[in-house]
Order: sequence, then C-alpha cells, then structure tokens
Amino acid sequence: MSERGALAGLRVLDLTDLKGHLCARLLADMGADVIKIEPPGGDPARRVGPFVDDQPHRDRSLFFWFYNLNKRSLTLDLGHPEGAAILRRLAEGADVVIESFRPGDLARMGLGWNVLHELNPALVLCSIAPFGQNGPYSGYEADDSVLTALAGMLYVNGFPDTAPVRPLGLQSYHSASYYAAIATMCALLARDSSGEGQWIDLSMQEATASAVEHVAAGFFGTGEIERRRGTLHWSRFFRIGRCRDGYLMHCTLGDWTSLVEWVNGDGKAQDLTTPEWEDVAKRRQDAEHLFDVLDEWVKDYSRDELLERAQLLRLPYASVRNPEDLFNDEQLLARGYFHEVEHPELGRTFRYPGSPYLFTGSQWRVTRRPPLVGEHTGEVLSAELGMSAQELAALAAGGVV
Amino acid sequence: MALEGVRILDFTWVVAGPVATRILADQGAEVIKIERGDKDATSVMGPRRIGLQGELHRNKRSAAINMANPRGLELARRLAAISDLVMDNFSARVMRMWAMDYASLAKIKPDIICISMSGLGHTGPRCNYVSYGPTLQALAGFTRLMADARGEPAGYGYSYADMAGGYSGALAALIALWHRKRTGRGQFVDLSQFEALVSLAGPALLDISVNGRTQEPPGWRSQEAPAAPHGAYRCRPWGDDDDRWIVIAVRSQPEWERFAGAIGDPPWTTDPKFRTLYLRMRNREELDAHVARWAATQAAEAAMELLRNAGIAAGVALNGADLAADPHLAERGFFAQVKLPDNSSTRLTGVPMRLSATPGSVRTVAPEVGEDNDYILGELLGLGRAERAELIAEGAVWG
Repeated sequence: MSERGALAGLRVLDLTDLKGHLCARLLADMGADVIKIEPPGGDPARRVGPFVDDQPHRDRSLFFWFYNLNKRSLTLDLGHPEGAAILRRLAEGADVVIESFRPGDLARMGLGWNVLHELNPALVLCSIAPFGQNGPYSGYEADDSVLTALAGMLYVNGFPDTAPVRPLGLQSYHSASYYAAIATMCALLARDSSGEGQWIDLSMQEATASAVEHVAAGFFGTGEIERRRGTLHWSRFFRIGRCRDGYLMHCTLGDWTSLVEWVNGDGKAQDLTTPEWEDVAKRRQDAEHLFDVLDEWVKDYSRDELLERAQLLRLPYASVRNPEDLFNDEQLLARGYFHEVEHPELGRTFRYPGSPYLFTGSQWRVTRRPPLVGEHTGEVLSAELGMSAQELAALAAGGVV
Repeated sequence: MALEGVRILDFTWVVAGPVATRILADQGAEVIKIERGDKDATSVMGPRRIGLQGELHRNKRSAAINMANPRGLELARRLAAISDLVMDNFSARVMRMWAMDYASLAKIKPDIICISMSGLGHTGPRCNYVSYGPTLQALAGFTRLMADARGEPAGYGYSYADMAGGYSGALAALIALWHRKRTGRGQFVDLSQFEALVSLAGPALLDISVNGRTQEPPGWRSQEAPAAPHGAYRCRPWGDDDDRWIVIAVRSQPEWERFAGAIGDPPWTTDPKFRTLYLRMRNREELDAHVARWAATQAAEAAMELLRNAGIAAGVALNGADLAADPHLAERGFFAQVKLPDNSSTRLTGVPMRLSATPGSVRTVAPEVGEDNDYILGELLGLGRAERAELIAEGAVWG
C-alpha cells in the first residue's frame, strides 16, 4: 500500500465556485495537492447552510466543508492585477487549473488559456460552465435546478398531473464535476505521451443530459417522449410500495418463480400464478396491474421482515430509507465508510461520509479537514513563490490576499 | 485520443458498469465486452444499436465467450493477460468463482488493475445483496427525500445511482492507471455503487451527524444559495401540449429587480412583503402564486427567452423531443448522428467533455453480441480459423 495517495505529486489550483467544488475534491481525496483559491472574504459556498449548530459563519458551513475536504485555502483577488500575477506564477508550477467562471472572464483577468498555456505548456485547464465555453446560450445564467430542467432530467420526475419534482442533491453540479474530473485525468494521461496540456470545455448542460439514461436516448431510440410516471421507474420494473411500517421498492427483475411462490404462499398471488407472467416482457407490459397485486401483498409485512426474506431469495427488493438510517447501516459500518475528522479550532470531531471507492493499493483518505478562509495563504506564497513576510504584508494591506 | 493503447476487459452489464466503460471507450480505450451469446439478459432494455443500449455500448467490441466452459474461461484469462484493466459489476463471488478476481489475475499479469463495481461492495454482511440503481437510491435515502408537495415519495424518473456508480467507476479506472504509470503497480478497486451514491449526499449527511437534524424533503427550498422565486411554473399550453413548465431561480436583489422589470413591473412586485430576499423566502407561497399566474399566460420558450435576456436563471423543463431540438446543443454538435450497418442512421447522446487536443468521439456503433469474435480471438489471441471453429463446436464460444 502506498503511503501517499495515487495522485500524490499532482498540484491542482481550484478556482471554482460551488458548481465545480466536487471536481477538485475528488482529486484531493486521492492525494493531489489542491489549493482552493478563494476571493478575499471567502468562497460564496461558505455562506451556504447548513451550519454547525445552525450558527452561520464562514468557517462553519457544512456545505463548504463537504465539498472542500482535503484542500488548502489561499485567498487571492483575481480581479486585482497583482492577484492575477500571483495566480500566473502559481500556474507555472501547477499541473491542473480548474475554474467555473463565466466564459470569457478568465481571459479578461489575464488568465485565459493562451496565457496559461504559454507560461506552462504542460498545464491542463478545465473550464466548467453551465452551457460550455461557446454556443448561443453560453452567456446565460443558470443554477442547478435550471440545468436539470434544460437537461431533460426534471421533466421526468414526479406525477403526470402535477409539477415536476426537483431532483435531490445538486445532480447537475455533481454530474459536471465528475465528468470534469474524468476529463482532467484523461488530459493528464494524454500529457504523459505528448508532454502538452490541453483545455477542457465542460458544459454542465451536456454533462447533466448524459446523466439521464432514457430521455434523449428514449426519444432517439423509439421516437417517444418519456413522461412522468409517478413512482413507477421508466423501465417499468420498479415501483414504490407501502408496507405496514414504511415504504419499499418493488423489483420484478429477480427470479420470478421465487417471488410468485412466496406471494402465492401468502394467498395473495391473484392471477400472477399464470405462466404468462414468467415472461419479463409481460411483466413490463402490465406493470401497473402487477404492482397493484404486489402492493396488496406487502401491505401487512413489516419492511425489514420483507426485505431480509427477499434478499435471502435473491430478489432485489429494497427499503425506502431515511438518510438518518445510513449512520446505523451495518454494511457501511462494517466497511469503515464513515470517517472522524478533527476540527481542532472548534475542539470537536465530526463524522464525515467517506469515499465512493476503496483502492486497495493507494488509499482514499482524509489528510486535512476543510480549510479555514485563507488558512494557507502565507504557507503557499512563501513556500511556493518564496515571498517574504514584508511582501505578504504589502499584499494583505493592498487587499490582494 | 487520450486513452489510446489502453485495453479494458469488460464484464459489466445493465447500466452502471457499461456507463463507466462507455466513458473510457469514448476517449479511445479499447473496450472488449465479454457476453453470453445464448440469451441476452438485457434485451428488455431495447435494441442493441439504438437508444439506451446504443449509447451504453458504442465504441466497444463484443466477444461471446462462455464463462461456464473451461476453454471459454481460459480464453478470458488469456485476454486478461493482455489487458490493462478488468472491470465487472458482479457481486464478490462471481469473479472469484471464475478465478478472474484480482488475486488470481495478478499471477498472470502482475500489474493488472481490477475494478469491481458491485452493488454494496466486496466485504461486509450485505456484500451479496442483489440491487439495481433504483433500489440503491431507495436504500441511500435519496428516494425518500424526493417527495412531491404532499410529502409522498415521488420516485425518480431515472437511475441516478447508475450514473454515480458509472462515473466513479470511470474515474477510479483513470486514477488507478495514473498510479500504475508512476509506480508500475496495479491494484484492486472495490467500488460499492451504494457508497458512490451515498457519498453524494454530503451536506445532508453532515447536517445529520453534526447537528442531529432529521432531513425533510427539500422540494424547491434551495439546496445551494437561497432563491425566491424558485420553482417550476406551468406555462401556457403549446398546441395540445399542456405539460410545459419553466424553472426560475431569482437569487439576489439585482436579479429580483431585473425579474420584476422583465415581466413588466406588475404591482405585486412592489408589495413590501416581497421587498427583500428574506421576505420573499418567508412569503414564498404567495410569491409563487403570483409568478404562477404570470407564467400561465406565457409560452414556456418565450418566457425563458425574456428572463434569460434579463440575466435571470431560467430554463424550460425540456422533454426528450425538446432536448433533441435544443438549438444550443445543436450548435455545439452535442448529439452524434451515426450510420447503422443497414444504412439507416440514428442519433446518440454525444461525448459530454471536450478535450482540445485529444477529443473523444463516437466512432463505432454498438456491436451485436459476439460481433467481434474474429478480431478478438483471431487478431488479439492469434487463434486460427480452425481453432475458432473448434471452440464454437465445443461450446466455449458462441459463433
């Protein structure tokens, strides 16, 4: 097992706002040295709740914490010529710059691709923007909810007769950030043979459209428009059911014989014992009736009792749980999913969710808690750029850092 | 392309695994799918070359190798020996049963990278649970929090878990490749799709663990910077389509002023109870009713145009047909038009990341099962025609 993460030695400058925070975090988690460049006063995400003990403060935002674990923080006013000059010097020694400014803003600050590429031909620049760097919409405003609408993701959630239900959890930002991290790694691998960096144009609308598997694809494949179907999944093999003490997710893709024998043993099979239901196509075709029968069957079961038995029969049923349940989930606990992270300045330790993957040869780990605003400004500028205490004081006095 | 020269032996199926290998194939990796040729368990997902299946399997190759046959298994092991990565999304026992797990393969290819994208991981008491994207969303708490206005779970129209699994699988593959290039060492990555999904609920989970707060479905309450108005508002029907909605997010005082101006400064916009963002959030139901009445008189696209030009975040809830016709995506050439072997053509979702020097692309349409048997067994493994015929006769390969 490597003592250092798989990406140890990579230097990343993270200029993103909350649209791209996750991208640099994914790299930081695997050992890259990520320096978050924040405007003086702190990143806007520090003003987003929830906050520790509900006390709003720029160093208490749980929203900021989650997306900025394992990063260092440097405050720098990029709109100030001296701030931009410092960024250029840092870029000379960096492998990656990730940004989510409005298209054109980076160039206006004297930090555009041409400038950075000339300074450091091996640098990878990853630009994340709502609609990409060019095209007729590239100057328009958007947030996560607007992007889910314009990606076809929103339209298919909820019930047919009422308003679409908003996707949970900033899925546009997350999809864009994952694709941006993937693209960055591809560019770094390409650099191994070419020696040259490149510029990545990541459109959040495109990334989000790619994250819905059946909307565009369904239209291209069948000419049909996918609509909202309530709790029935578009594949027609899943629907939410209600049992005695909560909700569960039915699934009719498991072994049909096992399922129908069980239901029949409870005297609730109605017409499901006829052989035609053995055909998966029939189960898709008449999903509404099938799930109505199964709803009648599950309603007197307790959720856990039903699920344990279903999984013993290898039927892919699941409970519809509350997120609070995750902290008692025996599978997550057994795998050491949660991590205790110490915040010395608060004198407390907090439990963070862990990694999307377990690397057995180069682990994911928490190397540092999320940074306080500008916590590493002095450290980075003196160690990386050799600045003296007087120079630092002058920059601070000028509002640059 | 960035991943030219990278070969991936791909045992994944359904959605999450194929999304991961599709992302890598788009960037030039040679992805060899190993599939069974006797029954296509995923045919319920539609025809192979178009729609969802067409998108999942484009740019890949397919060999129909029978893993239940000892000589079939031997072929797969020989392919692993000339591959950089082996990827699967089975539960833990399957690859072990075939002696295709990391420990076994590292003996014949010491720097092999194995990425297993199982539902719940390779260890722990539930490692053999069977799952799909929609069931993982339910387990992870996402489904419960996506409730409609009545608070009832309103489900997901799509499979976010499959995407979370697929993206993290692709990223894990690239990070492991990077690590191997620097250290010469391969490794095993145990990716639980469940954990990949849970890891995206971050701020809500911290709110639970730090503040002990029970999470409620957020609805249109902001999940990022606060906004009001913020919601989906039904617009005037377009022809016989009365399912037209616009999403609007007004996040600041200047945006509120521009919003009011853009919709013609109706009297309610100067009502003191909507004067500040705080007040607009507090009186959001009444505010939403006003905005809804305005939206009901507007065509969705025209309202979007109007608001966007005033610098407001606004977007129509596009359906599949709208998306296919979206002028911006068209201008950027996002959707790929590909030719099928019968000379008809189809469209596919394109490559959602643009690398200036090594752009990915849609190069080949999805192969039918076993379509590349000759290339894979002949060119890659050097088997002659007679040997290939013998393997088919023995049932090691489906011809």
